[in-house]
Amino acid sequence: MRKKMFWLTIVTGLVLAIGGFFLSAPIGPPINSAISNPRVPFSPTVFVLGVMLLFGSAVVYELTPGGSKEK
Amino acid sequence: MASKTNQPSFALWSGSKIFLALAVALLVVAGWGIYAYSQELIYGLSVSGMGDIGTGGGAAWGLYIVFIVYFVGISFAGITIAALIRLFNLERLRPIARMAELLTIISLVMAAMVIIIDLGQPGRGIINLLRYARPMSPFFGTFTLVISSYLFASLVYFYLDGRKDAAECAKQPGRWQWFHKMWAAGYKDTPGEQRRHRHTTWWLALFILPILVIAHSTLGLVFGLQVGRPGWFNALQAPSFVLMAAVSGIGFIIIIAAILRSVPKLRDRLPMNIFTWLGNFTWILLIGYIYVMAVEILTSTYTAHRDEVLLTQQLFTGDYAWVFWSSLGLILTSFGLLFGQFLRRRYTISLLVVSGIMLNLAAIGKRFLLIVPSQTHGTLLPYDAGSYSPTWVEYSIILGVFAIGTLAYMLFVKIFPIMEIQETGKGE
Repeated sequence: MRKKMFWLTIVTGLVLAIGGFFLSAPIGPPINSAISNPRVPFSPTVFVLGVMLLFGSAVVYELTPGGSKEK
Repeated sequence: MASKTNQPSFALWSGSKIFLALAVALLVVAGWGIYAYSQELIYGLSVSGMGDIGTGGGAAWGLYIVFIVYFVGISFAGITIAALIRLFNLERLRPIARMAELLTIISLVMAAMVIIIDLGQPGRGIINLLRYARPMSPFFGTFTLVISSYLFASLVYFYLDGRKDAAECAKQPGRWQWFHKMWAAGYKDTPGEQRRHRHTTWWLALFILPILVIAHSTLGLVFGLQVGRPGWFNALQAPSFVLMAAVSGIGFIIIIAAILRSVPKLRDRLPMNIFTWLGNFTWILLIGYIYVMAVEILTSTYTAHRDEVLLTQQLFTGDYAWVFWSSLGLILTSFGLLFGQFLRRRYTISLLVVSGIMLNLAAIGKRFLLIVPSQTHGTLLPYDAGSYSPTWVEYSIILGVFAIGTLAYMLFVKIFPIMEIQETGKGE
């Protein structure tokens, strides 16, 4: 249970962070507002949430109850 | 167990009149700061001394930005020391770990508060940052790495590191038992929990260290990447920021540790060798900072662009000369004090505290010199030189933020052990 939750948090965080980063980064010369703005609005927030989940996985790892073996 | 629950660092100053008096004084200052901010909200940034660069003859970044950089700077040392203790088993410094971590969190929250204050329309500013920030801009890094990741990572580290002591405190009935229980979240100190905690904090420390170097460098790059601004466009901006952050942060920790050492209960827990270590580490970092500063000055005066030379002249002999020479004097004097103690192998806490205070004043001065003169005297267009003088609103708000931060620190120390309970057991 613990390991599953921990890896789930890490993977979700990683996906959100990488996805949020690239969706925030328009490619091309900044000649108009379409290029100046992120591809998807609020993608920087997705990036931040992803990074937070990555660090939050430490809390999940410590707080989630372990399996019957550990008990 | 009794020795643990009666550990001396818990519930400091309970019922102390000095604590109450100080808390009331800080509340008054905080209230004054909130009143000043209300004036800014009602009348806009026109109540500040800031103005447009060039045509407005002013500086668009003023005291607020100076203190954002300063607060983020002092946050550096706290979590760095905590991470170094964990990674390299620096047991000697363990008593100051939590006070350092708390300094990081509170100073980052203070920095975030000042960022919001600096925005004329805070709501609009925050929403737009969440919506439109772009990784190509250093501001994106400041927002995501400094305030979000760095603060969140520090909070996670702080929370997990405090669970064991929270569980100990939760055994004692009292007004804050619910808080301690909530923090402990069922922690029982089993061998399995201890092992997991060691793993988690080790990995966290490993990830936090590079992130905070990147975060502080990013803050330096906000200035260092601006090619059209003499005094800012500089490859040494990022390392300079990291070094000054470390120096001022450790100076601040020396001050806090000395204040806590004045509490009789904690005197034995904060031995002189901790202060010696901090003092020596500070002068070593200062050598690095002085070197970077000397290289910057040489570069901007030797065969630099005309605008760079003019700006540097302003720092040496112009309007900002008193800030420049005072800051330099404070840095060199504190270096002399720290290095002199090292040579004599004799350290006194009062001299270390004086050095810490001087370094923090110098840090504020250096941040001011970095941010303001480049706007008032660093324009490449043919505008007249501008000027900037903070108003009472700006001073009051900054004092208010300081008061809120200090109050938060004091309240935390009152309800939670500022040093690990386990260490107290050993010490006793």
